[in-house]
Amino acid sequence: MKINTWFGILETDRAGEILESSLLSKDIRELALHSLSLRDSRSNFPPEGFDLKTAALKSGFAESPAEYYSLLHEVTLEAAKLQVSGALTPDQRIIQAVEALDDINETTNALSERLFEWYGGYFPESGLGGEDLALFIAKYGSRENVSSEDPLYSKARNSMGAKLEPADEALLKGFAENVCSLYERRRQIEAYIENSMELVAPNLKLVSGPMLGARLISLAGSLEKLAEFPSSTIQVIGASKALFKHLRARAPSPKHGIIYSHPLINTAPWWVRGKVSRAVASKLSLAARIDFYSGEKNPSLTERLEAKVLQIRTLNPRPPQKRQESGAKPKKRRRK
Amino acid sequence: MPEVKKLSDGIFEVIKDKKHLATKNLDPGKNVYGEKLIPVEGVEYRTWDPRRSKLGAMVLKKFNITLKKDSKVLYLGAASGTTVSHVSDIISEGAVYAVEFAPRSMRDLIGLASRRKNIHPILADAGKPDSYSHLVEPVDIIFQDVAQPNQAEIAARNAIRFLKKDGYLLLSIKARSIDTAANPKEVFKAEMKKLEQAFEPGFEILNAKDLKPYHEDHLGVLAKLK
Repeated sequence: MKINTWFGILETDRAGEILESSLLSKDIRELALHSLSLRDSRSNFPPEGFDLKTAALKSGFAESPAEYYSLLHEVTLEAAKLQVSGALTPDQRIIQAVEALDDINETTNALSERLFEWYGGYFPESGLGGEDLALFIAKYGSRENVSSEDPLYSKARNSMGAKLEPADEALLKGFAENVCSLYERRRQIEAYIENSMELVAPNLKLVSGPMLGARLISLAGSLEKLAEFPSSTIQVIGASKALFKHLRARAPSPKHGIIYSHPLINTAPWWVRGKVSRAVASKLSLAARIDFYSGEKNPSLTERLEAKVLQIRTLNPRPPQKRQESGAKPKKRRRK
Repeated sequence: MPEVKKLSDGIFEVIKDKKHLATKNLDPGKNVYGEKLIPVEGVEYRTWDPRRSKLGAMVLKKFNITLKKDSKVLYLGAASGTTVSHVSDIISEGAVYAVEFAPRSMRDLIGLASRRKNIHPILADAGKPDSYSHLVEPVDIIFQDVAQPNQAEIAARNAIRFLKKDGYLLLSIKARSIDTAANPKEVFKAEMKKLEQAFEPGFEILNAKDLKPYHEDHLGVLAKLK
C-alpha cells in the first residue's frame, strides 16, 4: 500500500510495516511545496490513525521526535506563508480599494464639514462647500487675498466675517490643503477601481457599473463567492438586517440590498422595484459567473436586462389597487 | 504578591485584584491579543479571557480539559490564534495542529506560530481532512470552533481520521450559525443527537453546557468516540 506523507512516499504492507520509502531531502522549501502539492491529491492518503511521526522515525527521515517536530514546524509555516502570499488576488485588491474609498469618504465629509464651520466665521457669504471651499481656502487663505478677477471678489470685500489672523490663516490653509488632497485621493481610488474592474470582472462592470460591482465583490468576500451566490442572495446583499428580521419575525422581505443603487432600480416606480431588482440580480449573477469562469465579455447581457425591465414596466403601468381592509385585522403576533 | 492556584495541568487561577484564568507564558515578555502578563516568583502568567475564548469559557464551566504538557492537539478553526496561544502554553512539550481556512486570519496565526515552536499552522478547509492528512499525526484532543452549519459532520470526519481511541473531542456549537431563526435550545438538542447517532462510530457525550454568560447561544460539548 502506497502512502503519501509530507516527508516522502512510503510503501507499507497490510500490518502497516514500512517496506520501502522514498524520502525527500530536508530542504524546507522543497518540503513545503511538496506538502502543498498533496493538498488536492485524491489517493494514497495515510489510513485512519496512521502514525506519521513513528513512520518518519522508522524510515530514517528524522532521527528524533524533536527533529521531526522542528522540521514539521518549519514546513507548515513555510507552506502557510506561500498560501497566504498567493491569496492576494486581484479581486482582493479591489475589496481593499473599496473599503479604503468608504473610509476616505467618511473622513473627507467630516473634515469638509469642519472646514465649513471653521471658515464660516471669517467668510460666511462665500456660498462654497466641499471641495470648492477647500480649494478656495488653499488658494487664498484670508478673503482679503481674493484677486479682483475672482467672481467672489466683491462678496469677499463686503463680507461681515471676522478678520483672519496670520496664525489662524496658516492653520486653515494647511487644513484645507489636506482636505484637497483627500478629494484627489478619492478620484485616484475611483479610477483604480474602474480600471481593475475592467480587468477582473468586465461583464459585472458592464451590468452594474464599476462601483456597485466592486461593492458586491467586497460584500461577498471575493469574485468566486459572488459567482457562487444564487441571484436571490445577490438581490439582498447589504440588507442582512432586514433579511434576518424577515426570517425571524414577520417582517416583510427586503426587495433589494446594495443593488438599490443600480440606476434601473432606483429610477423604477415603487410598485415594480421588487420585480426589477430580481431581474437585475439575475443578470448580475450571470455576469459574475461569466467573469469568474470564462472571462469573455458578453455585451448581450445589458441588452437583455434592459428588454426585461422594459417588459416589466409595460406589464405593470399602474400601481396596484390597495385592497379595502375589511373590519379589524387581528394583531400581528410574533413567531417565537 | 499575587496568589496562584492550579486548576489542572498548565491551567491556573491567578488572583491579582480579581481572579484571572491564566496559563504559563511560553513566550515570556510577549502578549498576543492585549491580555495581561502577571509575573509570580519568576514565572510569567498570561491571563486568559473566557469571553474571547470558547475553550477558556469551558474551563470555567468545569469541563474536564485533559490537556497535558505533552498532548497532541488538532485545533479546527484556529482563527487569529487567541485560544491557540493558550493551548500552546499548556502543551508546552506537545504539538498543536492549527487548521484555519481564512488567509487573513492565517496571517496573524503565522506571526504567532513563528514565535512558538509547538504550533503547526495549516491553511485548509476543516471539512476536508484528506487535504491535511499527510501532515497530522493521531491526536489526544480535537478542539473545534468552526461555526459552520455542518459542524457535527466536520467533527466526525476529523475524529474518525485523527482522534486516538481514548482521545477527546471538545467542541463549541454556535446555534446562530446552524439556524439563525430557530430556538437555540432546539438546535443544541438536534446537534447533540447528530453527534451521537448520525455517524459511524458515533460519539458518547460526556458533558454539555451552555457557555453563558461568556458566550451567547453557544454550547460547549465534551465527547469521545464510542
